[in-house]
Amino acid sequence: MTPTDPPEHDPAHCRQMFAHLSEYLDRELDEAACRQIERHLEHCDACRACCATLARTVALCREMPAHAVPEAMSARLREAIEKLRSGDRTVSGARPD
Amino acid sequence: MIEAINAGEIDRFYELVQRYQQALFNFGLRICGQAADAEDMVQDTFLNVFKYLKTFRFETQFKNWLYRIAMSACIKRRRRSRFAPERELSLDEFLPSDEQIAVDTPAWAREPLDRVLDEELARRIEDAILALPEAYRPVLVLRDLEGFSTEETAQILGLTPGNVKVRLHRARLFVREQLKEYFSHDPHRSA
Ligand SMILES: [Zn+2]
Repeated sequence: MTPTDPPEHDPAHCRQMFAHLSEYLDRELDEAACRQIERHLEHCDACRACCATLARTVALCREMPAHAVPEAMSARLREAIEKLRSGDRTVSGARPD
Repeated sequence: MIEAINAGEIDRFYELVQRYQQALFNFGLRICGQAADAEDMVQDTFLNVFKYLKTFRFETQFKNWLYRIAMSACIKRRRRSRFAPERELSLDEFLPSDEQIAVDTPAWAREPLDRVLDEELARRIEDAILALPEAYRPVLVLRDLEGFSTEETAQILGLTPGNVKVRLHRARLFVREQLKEYFSHDPHRSA
């Protein structure tokens, strides 16, 4: 615990920690880097608040509800596939080799 | 299943469609913003899968291959975006400012997720994603909505993993700004 440690309050250091918050949340950093961020978060209110809202943003994205597929989509797709099978190359999506 | 389809069992192909069509349709919606475009993209994707399934290499995950085809179908059908100007997002525009320092973690980041995420917020998040510049949008959609790993996302988009991480972080910060704004304008929510 070194609350007066100068690097913690250096804007350049803050920016450097801030740049890696997503990797920190995704557990993509090694032990040492993780601890460095955690130590910074203990002392930097701004980064701590940012980390919490960033984590929530990611969680909300992960929980986004899915839209239902339009009813006609499957039938239209089946029709296009059958056309393709029967050798009709004019179907949308087909491209000449 | 893929071997069975390649051996001529066409019904198995429709199983494949059933399995992935909703995920692909939602992916298309999130990238293109329009249901009609998303539907066309899904159709293009499955037609291409049908045509090129014989060339599929089993050392890649089928789902990754599928999304690579879907992504190029999106790009082919891309219209000039009405939502998002093409621009770089820089880290500095998202750096926390002094005025935030005294602020506690806001309610929307503390309350149970299911109480926060209602239809209105879901729409707002969709709008925020569509407002992302195109270089960032697919990265966030693949990582945080579709659940692909950094490596997989890099493969699908033809980027380096480092590039995926940088873009993802900025994209998340961008969406976070929109959410902050949304909650700050709504007294019921920020209370
Ligand atoms: Zn900081």
